[in-house]
Amino acid sequence: MAISRACAALLVALALWLPGIARGAQSARISAAFTPKRLGAATTVRMGFRLTGYAGHVHAPLTGLDFHYPADLGIITSGLGVATCTPTQLEADGAAACPPNSIMGHGSAEVQVPFGGEVVHETASIVLVAGPSENGFLRLLACATGLTPVAARIVMPTLLIAGHLQISVPLVASLPEGPDVAVVSVQVTLGGRLTYYEQVQGRTVAYHPKGVTLPKRCPHGGFRFSAAFSFLGGGRAGAQTAVRCPQRG
Amino acid sequence: MSYADRLRAEMRRHSTKRIALTLALTLLGLSCAAQASAAHVFKIRDEGHLHFIKSSGSQLIDEGHSSGTFPGIARVRFTYNGNPIVAAQFTIYGRYGTIVGRANGRLSNPTSTSPSLRGSLTITGGSGRYAHASGGGELFGVFYRRSYALTVQTIATLHY
Repeated sequence: MAISRACAALLVALALWLPGIARGAQSARISAAFTPKRLGAATTVRMGFRLTGYAGHVHAPLTGLDFHYPADLGIITSGLGVATCTPTQLEADGAAACPPNSIMGHGSAEVQVPFGGEVVHETASIVLVAGPSENGFLRLLACATGLTPVAARIVMPTLLIAGHLQISVPLVASLPEGPDVAVVSVQVTLGGRLTYYEQVQGRTVAYHPKGVTLPKRCPHGGFRFSAAFSFLGGGRAGAQTAVRCPQRG
Repeated sequence: MSYADRLRAEMRRHSTKRIALTLALTLLGLSCAAQASAAHVFKIRDEGHLHFIKSSGSQLIDEGHSSGTFPGIARVRFTYNGNPIVAAQFTIYGRYGTIVGRANGRLSNPTSTSPSLRGSLTITGGSGRYAHASGGGELFGVFYRRSYALTVQTIATLHY
């Protein structure tokens, strides 16, 4: 009797586990941090995610990301992105061709590149740039540039809708007609030590934009972030995190 | 002249007096009402130059002088979270009291260093002489993304 119950439990466990293997199930973890973490003060916002595939398997390529952040985070009023760069300009020549006042942040991404039977890791640099507005919304362009083994530059536009970023990730082939590269992790920092320029009495003067301002009140449970990931083949994963409220005093 | 004729003549005279009296009272009433109404409606045409005071997340607080037909100090709580429709709550401290209200407007060209905005405002109350203020109107402005300052022009009707 006890043996048959154990067998049944094992079968249920297998039934739950096997579809995950068949789809190459992925899991995700996201991170967020404010530096400095002081309510009401200007800060840099560091956000990232890491995707984990089924042990020993190549990740399915990421195709989309829905990212939610606190809507009252002062990203729009940060003074970041007071000039714009077009996606075409960015894709052709990179962020160096964009006005300095359009740069909003930096980051990096780790991708898996399948080569024959091997999987090679590549690190791509990311620049966050302000793009032309659309229907009155500010547009953020995330430009990722990888050099070796796959040299590619992709530009992913997203509208800065309060508390929500929706990004479509284009597929990048490792070799012509080869499998697509797969994103493993991304880390970006919004703000930071950026240098902008302005005209003061006919002279060009450098300054540092203030950066994202934290609200004066911290919500119960901290500042919540969540993300939903979609993968080639229809797989999905989700994750959430919260930046804990700073301690008083 | 018979008694009946005398009575009819007397009634006509009284009736004429009554009509004249009613007319006079009506005219007096209308005149008073017109005067009262005129005293409680005020056309505002002001311009405010507001500078940044403090912020909390996507909310900015600006303050500055407003000049025009309702001069005073204006304090604005301005919310811009990415939506092109921006919202504000304002208080104008005038000579005889304050007026408070809310406004919203649409920002055009938000990626420029100084996007312009256009919208409407509603006066919801006040204090002092304007304790029961109401009204509304239009607003036009510019938001300076570098300094977080605001320049706002208003054309409104104030009832109090």
